[in-house]
Amino acid sequence: MQIGSGIVNDKVLELLIMINACKTASARRITAVLPNFPYARQDRKDKSRAPITAKLMADMLTSAGCDHVITMDLHASQIQGFFDVPVDNLYAEPSVVRYIREKLDVKNAIIVSPDAGGAKRAAGLADRLDLNFALIHKERARANEVSRMVLVGDVTGKTCIIVDDMADTCGTLAKAAEVLLENGAKEVIAIVTHGILSGNAIANINKSKLERVVCTNTVPFEEKLKLCPKLDTIDVSGVLAEAIRRLHNGESISFLFRNAPY
Amino acid sequence: MRDIIVFSGSSNPELTDRICRNLGLPPGKVELKKFANGETSVHFGDSVREKDVFIVQSGAGHVNDLFMQLLIMISACKMASAKRITVVCPLFFYSRQVESQASKRGVPGGAQHRGSKVPDSVPQSPRLPSRVNVRDPSPRNVLSHRSVSTGSSLKTLRTNEASIANPTGYRSWIAQSGTLIANLLTSAGANHIITMDLHDAQFQGFFDIPVDNLLSKPLFQHYITNYVPNYKDCVIVSPDSGGAKRAAALADTLCMPFALIHKERRQKVDTAQAQSELMVHSNPSTSSLNSVSFATPGFPGRNSPASAPNGQPADDQQYVATTMLVGDVHDKVCVVVDDLADTSNTITRAASLLKDQGAKYVYALITHGIFSGEAMRKLKESQIDKIITTNSVDQAAHVAELDAKEMVILDVSRILSEAIRRINNGESVSMLYDHGW
Repeated sequence: MQIGSGIVNDKVLELLIMINACKTASARRITAVLPNFPYARQDRKDKSRAPITAKLMADMLTSAGCDHVITMDLHASQIQGFFDVPVDNLYAEPSVVRYIREKLDVKNAIIVSPDAGGAKRAAGLADRLDLNFALIHKERARANEVSRMVLVGDVTGKTCIIVDDMADTCGTLAKAAEVLLENGAKEVIAIVTHGILSGNAIANINKSKLERVVCTNTVPFEEKLKLCPKLDTIDVSGVLAEAIRRLHNGESISFLFRNAPY
Repeated sequence: MRDIIVFSGSSNPELTDRICRNLGLPPGKVELKKFANGETSVHFGDSVREKDVFIVQSGAGHVNDLFMQLLIMISACKMASAKRITVVCPLFFYSRQVESQASKRGVPGGAQHRGSKVPDSVPQSPRLPSRVNVRDPSPRNVLSHRSVSTGSSLKTLRTNEASIANPTGYRSWIAQSGTLIANLLTSAGANHIITMDLHDAQFQGFFDIPVDNLLSKPLFQHYITNYVPNYKDCVIVSPDSGGAKRAAALADTLCMPFALIHKERRQKVDTAQAQSELMVHSNPSTSSLNSVSFATPGFPGRNSPASAPNGQPADDQQYVATTMLVGDVHDKVCVVVDDLADTSNTITRAASLLKDQGAKYVYALITHGIFSGEAMRKLKESQIDKIITTNSVDQAAHVAELDAKEMVILDVSRILSEAIRRINNGESVSMLYDHGW
């Protein structure tokens, strides 16, 4: 079972009804594979009376009858704690590492995190690749909008690889690219796990100074691929398939946190 | 009124305004938006701490969006320490999908979809034993057919369904979303549900929390006695046997005669070939869902060749649908009563049948007028002389569209607001069942 983005609410209810139908049909175990977890960004009460929709999603899945959840690069890994059932949070990192090694100039690259929240993820990737690491600090005025940005680190003459877990309108990425180029970067490439690319994302990318935007295929975007020559994909189905196989056979999944199956 | 606050979902803000006016309160401030990626965002502008919260949301329109919005609102109120959360849902979500897996109608998402090929409601009439053919040896199994009938919303599922269509004779499983919807509402944090004219009263049993099912009967009673001339000489008609009880109750209360329209699918007996095919291929669910075809109402009570507007011709060779009228409507004024009209196939067919049987004038009394898809056009062209519905679903667009024919909107906000007032004060709600407000 799977869920993408797009008409999120329809997909969510479709999934819940499928889970429930399987449960009432006496399925032994129901595992929901949600590479892009819906409502993952609403994970805390950031204003008074704001909904914690990620928690609601967890409750919904559990009460529909879901026994296990497989997901990938959760926006905040704490969401795993919202569930009463086991959650396996896979990482796209091994696949991303392979992509960078195979297709990019590794020696002259630097990993950049576009916000403080993603610093840990970017630092982990930089460690794996033995690269330097820079950070962009930003202040967000409203949801889906970005404002002031400050670069921490030296990017002069380097190929910057921006790493983030999701790209929605791509406003952050475009701004980050500008900041990096102003600071003397040679070129800017963005690698994001979940390319939701909603709204005017495609226009933003085409206008921006980004050299390339690479997304995994957790969210289907074949049509957008045609519209935007700068897009590229990483296939993560191997990771998910291997996770499903291991889960079914009762083997350990932690191997997949470091290695990407071919 | 103690510590009460009423919030509106985006389905029917006008109804909420009316309810609030009746209660003498301002509606609670809530900001309902969507993020760029389609996820729903809710922000409450009023405090709900230790308050008795009522959320009004009706299940028509973009049902899934509205339902998620409702769940998020409930959850947000719960997290913000509301004392009690009551959902006021005049038209309940997924209320038609409570039947068991052997049922003939309904498919998850399908009935709510605004497509043109939504299966019509089929009465739960007893079938001939020969037709209850559980094992279907042919690969034309129920689910694969159904994907055709539910249209574009399930397009993504079709690839899966093609593989599900196995030749092993497995009887495909129909999701029963009734229990699920109840569980989702409960686990989001709802403490109480107020609804109106539930399609199946059994739905109440799916909940672990109290459900108050209000009735539109008093409203209709009031309308008939006051606005239908010589109502004692009119006939109450139920357009299918599923709604017979509801219509009969109304007829009893008003001491009016009662008639019933009964739809039945009969085996066509004129060709031997059709019969032999029947033994091999027939699957009652398949045929009843797909070929939503009925006899032209000119031949009631007899087996007549069916016209097949949407259905598959192969099935129509084997079955013909007959529509029967039980009761006498000749030279009478008919009042057709139903709980909801979605594509309004049932109601328009009923009207033309009644006119063919010599009815003088046809009123249609419908509690929840969803009127999706082609419904408005069908109603315009139909034999119905007057449509009476309620504002449980936002009717502004429908009224604007239907200028030629007279449409009357009854106001349910008084019943709902009285129920809210009584629940808030801990008074009995039962008098609303009989008297209305």
